[in-house]
Amino acid sequence: MENNKQFLTGHEVVVQACIDADATHMFGYPITPGTEILSGWIKKCQDNKDLHFLQTEDEIAAGFTVCGALMAGSKSFTATAGPGTVLMQDAMGMADGMRLPFVTIIAQRGGPSSGTVIYSQQEVNLAIHGGNGEGLRIVYSPSTVEELYVLTRKTFNVAWEYRFPSVLLTDGYLLKTKQDVVLNFVGENVEPKPLVSEHTQKNIRNIYTFEQELMDELTNQKQDFDEMAKEVTEFESYKVESCDELIIAHGIVGAAARDAVDELKKQGKNVGLFRPITLSPFPKDELNKLCKQVKKIMIVESSMGQLKDLVKQNLDTQVEIDGLYKPAVGIETEEIIKLFK
Amino acid sequence: MSKDSKFCPGCGQTMILQTLYRILQEQKSEEKAVLGLDIGCSLLAWDFLPINTFQTHHGRVTSTMVGFNRARPDLLSFAYTGDGGAYAIGLQSLLWAAKRNDPITVIVANNAVYAMTGGQTAPTTMHGQKTDTSPAGYDAEPVDGMKLIRSVNEKAYLARTAVNEMKDMKQHLEKAIQSQRDGNFSMIEILSFCPTNWRVKGPAMIEYVNNMKESFPVGEF
Amino acid sequence: MNIKILLSGDGGQGIQLIANMICQAAFETDFHVTAIPNYGLEQRGGVSLNFIQISDKKQVYPKFTKPDILLIMSPQAKERVEEYQENGELKLEIGDYESILKENNVPKQSQNIFCLGLIAKILEEKEILKKENIFELLEKKLSTKPGWEENKKAFDLGNTL
Repeated sequence: MENNKQFLTGHEVVVQACIDADATHMFGYPITPGTEILSGWIKKCQDNKDLHFLQTEDEIAAGFTVCGALMAGSKSFTATAGPGTVLMQDAMGMADGMRLPFVTIIAQRGGPSSGTVIYSQQEVNLAIHGGNGEGLRIVYSPSTVEELYVLTRKTFNVAWEYRFPSVLLTDGYLLKTKQDVVLNFVGENVEPKPLVSEHTQKNIRNIYTFEQELMDELTNQKQDFDEMAKEVTEFESYKVESCDELIIAHGIVGAAARDAVDELKKQGKNVGLFRPITLSPFPKDELNKLCKQVKKIMIVESSMGQLKDLVKQNLDTQVEIDGLYKPAVGIETEEIIKLFK
Repeated sequence: MSKDSKFCPGCGQTMILQTLYRILQEQKSEEKAVLGLDIGCSLLAWDFLPINTFQTHHGRVTSTMVGFNRARPDLLSFAYTGDGGAYAIGLQSLLWAAKRNDPITVIVANNAVYAMTGGQTAPTTMHGQKTDTSPAGYDAEPVDGMKLIRSVNEKAYLARTAVNEMKDMKQHLEKAIQSQRDGNFSMIEILSFCPTNWRVKGPAMIEYVNNMKESFPVGEF
Repeated sequence: MNIKILLSGDGGQGIQLIANMICQAAFETDFHVTAIPNYGLEQRGGVSLNFIQISDKKQVYPKFTKPDILLIMSPQAKERVEEYQENGELKLEIGDYESILKENNVPKQSQNIFCLGLIAKILEEKEILKKENIFELLEKKLSTKPGWEENKKAFDLGNTL
């Protein structure tokens, strides 16, 4: 057995990644399927006195306590799901406006409303565009338990490096999956810096007197966002060399699609996979490059088309689009294979 | 004061903020103080004092300062809000911060209306008071913040005063800061002038505030 | 090699407990293991599932449609896993063992351990792990708790069928 092989759930992996990202404060409210991140973190706080937590009265307070702790320079975060993700938009909106390094782990569950407590991919729009602004957020979508670890740590690092609110967008399936994993700790963590302290005298606002002031601020933010995108945008292109048809999937569905591509290749079908790892900023250039070579793209997602909309927004090329859209329901490898009969 | 006031002429808030600043100066704590601002007229304080300040969202300044305090318990955390931010949209967070005895100081400017949006009914609107959204006169009693908070926290320092009682205001604020330093929650509600929405000026403003004291008795609670 | 096991039963029957035993034993035998529980809103009484894959190659996607081994511990569970049946899997239905369970006085709360015994035997036959591997974990978990003698007997019974 490899020495560092562990048998862990996605929840446990996320908590470990937060600790390994040097996070110190979690503020949260219990909601399925994200609760075990809160309870898991609190367990770690019992033995490690450098770690702190507060179970707040609701997700709104969770979000704003995160904002306050960030202002003070603490690597803080929250985790939420479904209706909680809706309430979290208030604080995420403040983080949008004030460029706070706000980290949220979203455990997608079925919607609308209380929906289901199990699984979904329907919080893509909320994660990116849930605020009353332009959606300048960094959103990662991991496909495996091991990637959960790497991308959770990265979510903290990009948030503090570039100061855009950052989301680790996952789901109830991936978080509940228990798997043998090797957690791969690579690279340094970004140091947190306080926005205000005894060494500063700052007056920071998020509301403007004139229309033009806000537009100027947003124009600057967009420039920074586009600069950041060059460094941060990530994707996986799997067996795409000279493929005719391209599956596009993200998150855990991307893992099922990868297995499907392996099987389809065995059957002699020329199918590849494009998996955006950052849903925002979206890997637009690579998508368009691939779409020039393929005859058809097949979008597969556990939503009625939130990924499809993202793809369409970013597509400059004319290409046939088909797909499998199953809101709030898992998509297994076998189903994806069947699409290419 | 660092900049010109953005408040309406005659607004009571400048007196509250100036008093706070004077205390911080006397205590040589200007650098240690952080003033979070709710949205509402309180947001206009964002560059009024030469200390660290930041705006938050409507009803969210208490939670924000709870988070700030948990990260930097060695600094002084102030949440500055209006009556609507404190007792309506932000009440849930205010109650819970008080219940947990989070060591922050909440300063509530009570002018009995939603002032920034033009004088709508607030949680502190008094019985019979006419507002933009109670044109026939408000037909219920106002929220008593002191009683409410006391019911969830025995240790908190709680006091109500008015902008025409500067000496008391200063003393209460000093005690509230001490309470925070001692590790307890504190809240000061200050009955404050709103000449714009009350449509009064001069001596009538003083009379208005003095009348408010019948609904909102001043003193420590 | 990738053995897919789907366990199903009513909430409270102990499906997740036996899933953990199987997974932990396989993990300690150095196989790649992926497992995902599935249950609804009810804290008790709903259908409880666990999808397990034991493989010599890493399986990252946790769910599947065609189990190799399907355990059904209640009529409600049978209905829930309808779509996973009739794929030529090895089906273990608690109903088929009714008379044996009765003859041997296996109490209701030990039925999951009986099923664990059945599965341990199959996994040993498939040379995935030894039934002792599972029994040791079971002993660690339950030997100090009430009903251990019954559980031990139930495991042995499942193992000898």
